[in-house]
Amino acid sequence: MVQQQELETVDININMGPQHPSTHGVFRMVLTVDGEKVIDVEPHIGYMHRGGEKLSENMDYRQGIGYQDRTDYLTQFLNEQAYCMAVEKLTKLEVPERAEYLRVILCELNRITSHLMFIGAFGIDLGLFGTSFMYAFREREYIQDIFEEVSGERMMYGYFRPGGVVWDVPENFVQRVREVLPQTKQGLKDLDMLLTNNEIFVARSKGVGAISAEDAIDWGLTGPMLRASGVPWDLRKDQPYSVYDRFDFDIPIGQYGDVYDRYLVRLEETHQSIRIVEQALEQLPEGPILPEKLPRKLRAPEGEVYAAVENARGEYGIYIVSKGGDKPYRLKIRSPSFSNLSALRTMTIGNYIADAVAILGSVDIVLCDVDR
Amino acid sequence: MAEQEQSESPAESAANEQSKEPAAGKAQGGAGQPKAERPKVLPGGASSQRPGLPEPAAEAKTSDRERPPPGGIADLFAQALPDVKLEAYQGLDSVIIEVSRDDIPQVMQTAKDDPSLDCKFLRSLFGVDYLEDGLEVVYQLVSLEKGHEVVIKTRLTRDDPQVPSVTSVWQGANWHERETRDMFGIIFEGHPHLVPLLLPEDMTDHFPLRKDSPLAEIEEWQGELLGEETGEGKGETKE
Repeated sequence: MVQQQELETVDININMGPQHPSTHGVFRMVLTVDGEKVIDVEPHIGYMHRGGEKLSENMDYRQGIGYQDRTDYLTQFLNEQAYCMAVEKLTKLEVPERAEYLRVILCELNRITSHLMFIGAFGIDLGLFGTSFMYAFREREYIQDIFEEVSGERMMYGYFRPGGVVWDVPENFVQRVREVLPQTKQGLKDLDMLLTNNEIFVARSKGVGAISAEDAIDWGLTGPMLRASGVPWDLRKDQPYSVYDRFDFDIPIGQYGDVYDRYLVRLEETHQSIRIVEQALEQLPEGPILPEKLPRKLRAPEGEVYAAVENARGEYGIYIVSKGGDKPYRLKIRSPSFSNLSALRTMTIGNYIADAVAILGSVDIVLCDVDR
Repeated sequence: MAEQEQSESPAESAANEQSKEPAAGKAQGGAGQPKAERPKVLPGGASSQRPGLPEPAAEAKTSDRERPPPGGIADLFAQALPDVKLEAYQGLDSVIIEVSRDDIPQVMQTAKDDPSLDCKFLRSLFGVDYLEDGLEVVYQLVSLEKGHEVVIKTRLTRDDPQVPSVTSVWQGANWHERETRDMFGIIFEGHPHLVPLLLPEDMTDHFPLRKDSPLAEIEEWQGELLGEETGEGKGETKE
């Protein structure tokens, strides 16, 4: 007699990372899969944890700038901006106009390079191999050259200081940026043509990993992740800092909150950043770049401040608890990647393994920023 | 007294011992000793502000706090939570409300659900260590609709660092609470998955961001390397 047996299925654990090309750094996730479907995800982070918050407690207010370059290493200017703003709030330093404009120009250019990095790497995640990456990196390099001319560094700029910037930009700075912007526009157009209507790209990203606006807020998502879900929250508009209230720009938002929308939002943000840079170059005043009376050693009063900027990934904030003296008593870094990545589990469950890569890519994490 | 003993790590007392010698015990005399024997007024004004030492913290508590602006978020909280003790004051750039830890679930749920408060967005959540004044948990709440924000704090003692979890209010609190447990050893009651996040899985007994954890050893070593001057100023380097 032949006995009919029911087919048994077994859930398998798959370890992805910590060394894996699609994890964008040292990140491990343990996927529990049922066939091709992901039924559970356990992200493991902390491989890059260097205790930056503790280190900052033992550095004086100017030394702390160096660490900010090392958290989110793709948006260093923006992090320095957040840190300097927090210190300026605490020590009540006034930033001269020219320094504010220089900061805005560099921050927006930095946002473009960061988004270019995302678009290039995202193409790889979705199976385009190196093409998008090469396109993006070529464009990124032109802007990178400007950063190098300004700060003398390719990665860890350390150019902002509490009260302004460390030295003035080279004489031909405005001209150089004006030269590069058309190239960047052309490069973005190339990427747009390559990816946005690419059949494979669209098929792999549309409708994948969607998160509703309500959930996005509940999970503490910020930046393009939040805006792709249709929430027009951008600190540059909603809690304007620096001189952002003087520029005319739009906040792109998505409709469905899926992977494709996140890509579109970021692509459009680069165009808006170019608009801001163009206006800032127009308005860039002459003048000092640091306050006239700048103490040699910054001493803060007792108190607590929080300053945040709209980083390329979301809200990057610095909370300083001061008990007086020249060092923070406690410094908390509110990093956008950390909060954004925490929603990975919700977004991934129920999707296919291949989509898990696309979803992770769309979060656009920087692991040094997640772990700090 | 028991918690006072606990907060003094061997490394820190060693650092104090050492730095005492060149500076002839200036201003630091009290740090390594029990609270009762500590002089009330310290010689050397500048060094009494040094972070990490208990005295300034005690002074800070007595200082007058600026009252929050009327009609602001503090009043909205008071209206929404009439039977909860809220101590609100104006910080350097935001309104800070201190609540007791038992009120945390009610305060947070109301902060999110009450239409006048509408704090749907938990910006972040973290700990601060005040040595024998206990541990503090700081919640930053924002309303995206109304555009207001508030900082809520609660103080815990060092020997009972437990606070109700707010993961049921905001899902985003999940990782923030796990990180705070890693760094400060604060137990969030009711958290669904309170295992180490940033630290190794077996590292559940050491809390690196507490003030008594051994970055002090490195400072001590730096002091030795650089001579007496920096050794003296453990918290604050000399100009």
